[in-house]
Amino acid sequence: MQESSTVYRKNFSLIIAFLVLISVTFIIALFISYSLTDRYVENEFAAKKIDVQEQTIKSYNDFFQNRIPEITFYHGFLDSASASRYARSVLSDYPFVTRIVFYDVAISKPINNELEGRQLGVNLKSLYEYTLKDRKIVVTRKGRLQDYSDFETMADKLNNFVTIADTSREPTQDDKFKTFYGIQSRKISYLNILSREEVKLYRELQKGSNAASVYKQNMLTFDLDQSLLKLKNPHPELYKNISIRPVVYDPIENENSNITAESPLPGAFSNYKLYLSSPKFYLDAEVDRRFLPIGAMVLLIYFFLVTISWLIYRNLNVNMRLFKLQYDFINNFTHEFKTPLSVIKIAGSNLRGDAELSERQRKQYGKILDEEADKLNDLMNKLLSLTQLENNAINLKVQEVDAEDFVKGYINTFKIKYPEFKLSYKISGSGSFYCDPVLLGSVFQNLMENAYKYSNPGRKELHIDTQINRKNITISFADKGIGIAKEEITHIFKKFYRIENQYNQNGSVGLGLAFCKELVNFMEGEIVVKSKIKEGSVFTVTLPFEPIGK
Amino acid sequence: MRKSLSVLFYALILCSIHACKNTEVRQIPIKDFFKTPEESIFRLSNDGKYISYLKPYKGKQNIAIRSLETGREYMATAFDDYAVREYSWTYNNQIVFIQDVIELDEYKMFVLDVATSKINNLLSLEKGRIRILNNRNKAEPDVITVSMNKRDPANFDVYKLNIKTGELKPYIINPGNLTEWYPDDDGKIRLVKASDGVNETILYRVNEEAPFKPIITNNFRNRVDPIAFIAGQNHFYALSNVNQDKTSLVEIDAETGKEEKVLLNCKKADIERVDYSRNKHRLELAVCEEEKPTKHFLSKQIEAIYNSLLNRFPGTEINIVGRDSSEDKVIIFTYTDKNPGSYYLYETAGAKITKLGDINSSLKPSELCPMKPITFKARDGLLINGYLTLPLGDKTKGFPVVVIPHDAPWRSRDTWRYSDEVQFLANRGYAVFQVNYRGSSGYGKAFNSAGFKQAGGKIQDDITDGVNWLINEGIANSKQIAIFGGGFGGFSALYGVSSHPDLYSGVIVKYGLINFFTYFKDVPPYLKPRLQMMYEMIGNPESDAEQLRAISPVFHTDKIKAPLLIFQGAKDESANISELNQFVRELKKQNVRVTYFLRQNERKVFRTEENRVDMYTEIEKFLDKNLRDNQ
Repeated sequence: MQESSTVYRKNFSLIIAFLVLISVTFIIALFISYSLTDRYVENEFAAKKIDVQEQTIKSYNDFFQNRIPEITFYHGFLDSASASRYARSVLSDYPFVTRIVFYDVAISKPINNELEGRQLGVNLKSLYEYTLKDRKIVVTRKGRLQDYSDFETMADKLNNFVTIADTSREPTQDDKFKTFYGIQSRKISYLNILSREEVKLYRELQKGSNAASVYKQNMLTFDLDQSLLKLKNPHPELYKNISIRPVVYDPIENENSNITAESPLPGAFSNYKLYLSSPKFYLDAEVDRRFLPIGAMVLLIYFFLVTISWLIYRNLNVNMRLFKLQYDFINNFTHEFKTPLSVIKIAGSNLRGDAELSERQRKQYGKILDEEADKLNDLMNKLLSLTQLENNAINLKVQEVDAEDFVKGYINTFKIKYPEFKLSYKISGSGSFYCDPVLLGSVFQNLMENAYKYSNPGRKELHIDTQINRKNITISFADKGIGIAKEEITHIFKKFYRIENQYNQNGSVGLGLAFCKELVNFMEGEIVVKSKIKEGSVFTVTLPFEPIGK
Repeated sequence: MRKSLSVLFYALILCSIHACKNTEVRQIPIKDFFKTPEESIFRLSNDGKYISYLKPYKGKQNIAIRSLETGREYMATAFDDYAVREYSWTYNNQIVFIQDVIELDEYKMFVLDVATSKINNLLSLEKGRIRILNNRNKAEPDVITVSMNKRDPANFDVYKLNIKTGELKPYIINPGNLTEWYPDDDGKIRLVKASDGVNETILYRVNEEAPFKPIITNNFRNRVDPIAFIAGQNHFYALSNVNQDKTSLVEIDAETGKEEKVLLNCKKADIERVDYSRNKHRLELAVCEEEKPTKHFLSKQIEAIYNSLLNRFPGTEINIVGRDSSEDKVIIFTYTDKNPGSYYLYETAGAKITKLGDINSSLKPSELCPMKPITFKARDGLLINGYLTLPLGDKTKGFPVVVIPHDAPWRSRDTWRYSDEVQFLANRGYAVFQVNYRGSSGYGKAFNSAGFKQAGGKIQDDITDGVNWLINEGIANSKQIAIFGGGFGGFSALYGVSSHPDLYSGVIVKYGLINFFTYFKDVPPYLKPRLQMMYEMIGNPESDAEQLRAISPVFHTDKIKAPLLIFQGAKDESANISELNQFVRELKKQNVRVTYFLRQNERKVFRTEENRVDMYTEIEKFLDKNLRDNQ
């Protein structure tokens, strides 16, 4: 008993240790995951500005990479009408383009040979300005522009390119970009890109030959306005405010209440940047929002672990009881065997020691040996049949049984065995039924034996009531014994379970009721018990009228 | 047991049905259609002792020579980098040939001495073109006449080249407007053609010392092509359509330029070709391309030869392609729509015929499909000719169709002949439709000029009307039509699919014309003189800019929805690769399913067998996916 209680206590402390450990882990996990989420949101705030930038600048890129080079498709053949058509589509597709100026350029031989170096005659034939007003294109033909520098810059670049270009190969992307694009703040100039053949022709022109030819070039300048760029915020949860600011914009904050990020704009907008900011609380709310599912997950895992530990604890408990039961059983069983064995041993040594036996002595010894051998045999049989029953190793031998004869037989046997045992019976319903008489006999024997054993002298009474109807037979065994405590009732049919009291100090193994239950179950019936301490118990066996058989 | 027997039975039936189908139309491997010709371009040496031909060596065409006296046959050249492009015999048993080194953009001219098997590199011309004008000169057998744009990429000059010494002497320096030279039977050039882009002028000189003087001036819509001087006179034969619709064979007085008489004309079509023997100084025959080529004989002797050949090869087209100077031996070439062609040696003495070789012996005419001439009325009532090739088999209606509009209107047309591309598609079960839309050559002046400035207009309507005619006749399955073209045909394909998105389920384009502005701007310098004429025919980029913009596919990527397959050789001098790349990028952005194959070291037409096979494998896959699955 002592060992088992120590085992019990150890088990409990382990569970406690485990619970403490997972609780600590739980708290640490919550803490770490919160700080990770916090850092993650901070990183996202810094990283996702690229998305905002891409989304916002997408239409500019589209304009720059697709619509501007489209001018080259015309190879200089763009005229005021087609240019106006082109301008209208650009102005309406890209609202950040506010004005387009179209230069119809004629390339001819050098006008003025006194100029230093070789100069192409890059002359302006006509100039048109396109703007959009109320979704309609406004075309203005201009004589001269106040600011002529765009044209002059581009003309110089072209001149320079024609002079130095390597005509043996296609110009590289870099050459093309340097020569035919002019990118200033909020303004892009573009000259249609020359093919290798044209570069050769223009070089001839520079040299002064082939004087009569005039070639056409198209130049366009686009005025852009960064404030008309449509700001797109694909991450409203991160960025509360987005604006386009000059590169030098850097406001001083009183408290560090705002978190900011910035991303430079490309090309013609390179003097500007995207300025993204969010108040601290805004981001904290985002952290909380993101942490919520993670925290819930951690909590769930925690509860899961706690549940599992409780289940393990319960299983251990059950195993503990079972272990105790088997331990008791071995104790009792050896004891049970020991009693008849020691009696046989004493009888044996007496037989050997006594020189001569009187007739009475011989009979007495014979009786003792016989009875004790029977006890041992009975014990062995019970154990064996229980094992057999459990393994379904015996067969049901069903036959018609006459109730009156059957019950009476057992009552008579017990009357002979225990003369002070008061037995009565009652049978109602038809007289016979079908079952295995041997198995049912074992049940009778066990229950009657128990009724006798667990009754105080003078109250040793048993009433067997047998009711037979068409469906089933109900046999109840009502005694006036010591009764069974409520908390014990659920255990009494368990193997090796034995109520600890003075009545079974010797002799009981705790097998009887378990054996009965096995038998009844085997016969497709059931056994239940009702009991009251000190007043008695009623065991009721219900069997089918005719078992189907297995 | 019973069940399994019946399963076996059905399986057998299925097998036999399948087997039936297989025997009906065998899928001929792609390689068999598009391999480099096995033996082609057979020619006779002037003395009639040797036969030469082209034969692949390591996949490239090289010259092989067979001696008729000893029967010895050997490879005379062994280039494994670039093929021999064109070759010819000189008077003195030398072979002059040209190689196009695509990688370096270089033309090389060689001479092969047959007696010693020595090969000499005569000329290397970077970024230029060389044409041999005359190489059978009895008086100076070692001197050949060539034209090349060595001095100025935009102008061809004529040179006399001594193939023994390599000496190159300028013969006629181009003042800038000469486009054609017509050597006479002695190799002297007395007739030339000049062009200012719109008008063509024929110039004549009495002898090599005299200056050229203009005798005939014509708008480019007219055509005068001198053939040869009539022996002993200063009259010459020419093909001309001045004052008449169809090109006829005429006699012209070289002094006055006056047309003396019309010798021959055909009712339905232009005279495409006239055979003239320089050795015997006589006209042999004229060919009109009607539905099928029709011969009109101008010499009794020649007619007799052809008649005897026709008895031997009934139902085939026969042409004399090579001859020795005595014309005792000639090489004839026979072909049909189902036969790529075979070469025979014909000896007039005894009318003996010896087979020389096949262009492609892997193909059996019985497995190929007949090319049927068809006509239909366009929406404005004009009669349009075309050809329809239906797959073999019992099916007569509801075919998947591939429409192939031809390239280069005003200069070309589809004719009745063997075409590997058409036969390949027909073998794969597609009906192939070729249409000689207005503007095509060969049907007279009026029909030709009806196509002027109609790119994307009536030309496109003719193609569309043809397709609708096929649908109405029930021949085409209206959900399974693809359009496939090269050059201008590629434009027609792209424009067709953007203007009629419901009509075509797929577009295949090779060396496609996607931008007319680029087309004009990037014409190779030697074609510059034709520019003005091209403006007349297609549109002037300055005055018709709007219209050219409206039809150029590069500006309308948003209108193309059908899946697209594009092939392009990176060394195609009339293509603007960066523009094409931009076009493809744009299309991809519009989520058009476009597959783009850019092959290095190829010009327009893919010359390596490997690239050709790849190309048609892709086409087969593309059509399978986009037409066949559209049931």
